[in-house]
Amino acid sequence: MSVDTEEAAVDARTLFASADRDWRHLARGAAGLAGFVGVWWVVSLFQNDLVLPSPVSVAETFVAELLSGAMVTALFQSMLHWIPGTIAGTLLGVGLGVLLGWSRRADDTAAPVVRLLRPVPPLALIGFAIAWFGINHAGAAFIVAVGAFWINFYNAYGGVEAVSEDLLDVARSLGVSGDLAMVRTVVLPSALPEILTGVRTGIGRCWMLVVAAEIFGVPGIGRQILTASNNLAVDVVIAYILVLSLVFLVVDSAFRAVQRRVLVWRD
Amino acid sequence: MARLSDSSGASDGDEPSGDEPNDNEPGDGAARVSVDGVEKEFPGERGPVRALDGVDLDVADGEFVCLVGPSGCGKTTLLRIIAGLEPPTGGEVRLNGEPVTGPGPDLGVVFQEYHLFPWRTVAGNVAFGLERQGVPEEVRERITSDLIELVGLDGFGGAYPSELSGGMKQRVAIARALAVDPEILLMDEPFGSVDAQTREMLQGELLDVWEETGKTVVFVTHDVEEAVTLADRVVVLAANPGRVREVVAVDLPRPRRRTDEGFVEGVERIRGLIGD
Repeated sequence: MSVDTEEAAVDARTLFASADRDWRHLARGAAGLAGFVGVWWVVSLFQNDLVLPSPVSVAETFVAELLSGAMVTALFQSMLHWIPGTIAGTLLGVGLGVLLGWSRRADDTAAPVVRLLRPVPPLALIGFAIAWFGINHAGAAFIVAVGAFWINFYNAYGGVEAVSEDLLDVARSLGVSGDLAMVRTVVLPSALPEILTGVRTGIGRCWMLVVAAEIFGVPGIGRQILTASNNLAVDVVIAYILVLSLVFLVVDSAFRAVQRRVLVWRD
Repeated sequence: MARLSDSSGASDGDEPSGDEPNDNEPGDGAARVSVDGVEKEFPGERGPVRALDGVDLDVADGEFVCLVGPSGCGKTTLLRIIAGLEPPTGGEVRLNGEPVTGPGPDLGVVFQEYHLFPWRTVAGNVAFGLERQGVPEEVRERITSDLIELVGLDGFGGAYPSELSGGMKQRVAIARALAVDPEILLMDEPFGSVDAQTREMLQGELLDVWEETGKTVVFVTHDVEEAVTLADRVVVLAANPGRVREVVAVDLPRPRRRTDEGFVEGVERIRGLIGD
């Protein structure tokens, strides 16, 4: 096998090119963001504060809410049902998705129930959340978990279904026998990209569900937004929406970094 | 390579799994394969389709046999049946006298499309079967690096399949199959997806590996010249239904040159058998 030094040169070139492209991406993104805030600001000049407060007054409100501790408290409260709900729903969804994707028998058995429950929107289950858990973090976490469950279930199911029959043949002829060994050595690693996409989508979707789930009275950022809406405090509404976006941005970027690292083998 | 066979522990016969077709002759690495009246029918729209109709074939220890034939002659199906990946609907395959009941590390398989585990590095792919057998890490690492060297991929142990060319991927697939020290190497058009130049190089390398390891090889190809380059015997299959048409012995010294009289004669003869 001849090893090309050319390959290394090509690597270096593409590396520089991609760094260059990254900068251009960032510059364009910054310009877009500045444009958005600019338009917002210009429009707000001609509007009542009740309709659209200016970016400046939103920033002032943001700082005030942050300093008063209200924002941190609300964020912490939302985390209390977002994190457990997302984790529980993700684990269950991935677990059942892998099981049903792999086992024909389990799939046949569960398919009617899955089809029956699938179309139920998580928020339609608020009654159950209250009845089973009460108006508290557990109730809200339940709603969040339902949302996380389906996204993860379908991604894991699809990922497992798409595992190449040929790779399974290779594994069999290298001595893998039994479902558990096959799932561990071939099915899970092979389906991992789809599973991680599901987890990532689920994290985002659940963050939105957190706000919706707080409608029924559980404290958190969603609750703050609803209260502020009732008081026509649009600047507060926007400040809390900003918190949602910022938290999502941080969590999603962190997860994406993990995803890239875990899936380094993909071209 | 003798060192590889001794140290792998792949066929020492002390594994708990009872589904291995056999585990005698540790380290010898060669096996006798007998295909006895093998039939294969696939369900079709208008009744079952007969893919193989009473195939008989014996492969001796350390022999290199090529299966050639027109498309639809069932050569890949026959290979998959020998590998235990598909059950025959009639007849039997035996490895050293023991019936083959399913796939396993004694029956090494190399596919045309490589089928490397994309999430594993080159070394990880080669080590896969050894990990399954619980071979200790130091031994595993030694076997893996020896094999990577044997197939000419030194320095690529940490690379992922997506970073390799087709020829390199196939070298990894061969090393992976050899790692568990199989009794026999079954290859399904392994060089069918690489360019002509790489193909010739790989053929030469495969012969080197074969000579070094003494493995029994059954090799499916549709390239008659490839068959005559490699094989001790070329089994010509006929189609509809698939059956053995003739077995042609190639008594030419290796390395064989494609311009030699005997080579050209052999190719002509086999082409004639396929074309009729």
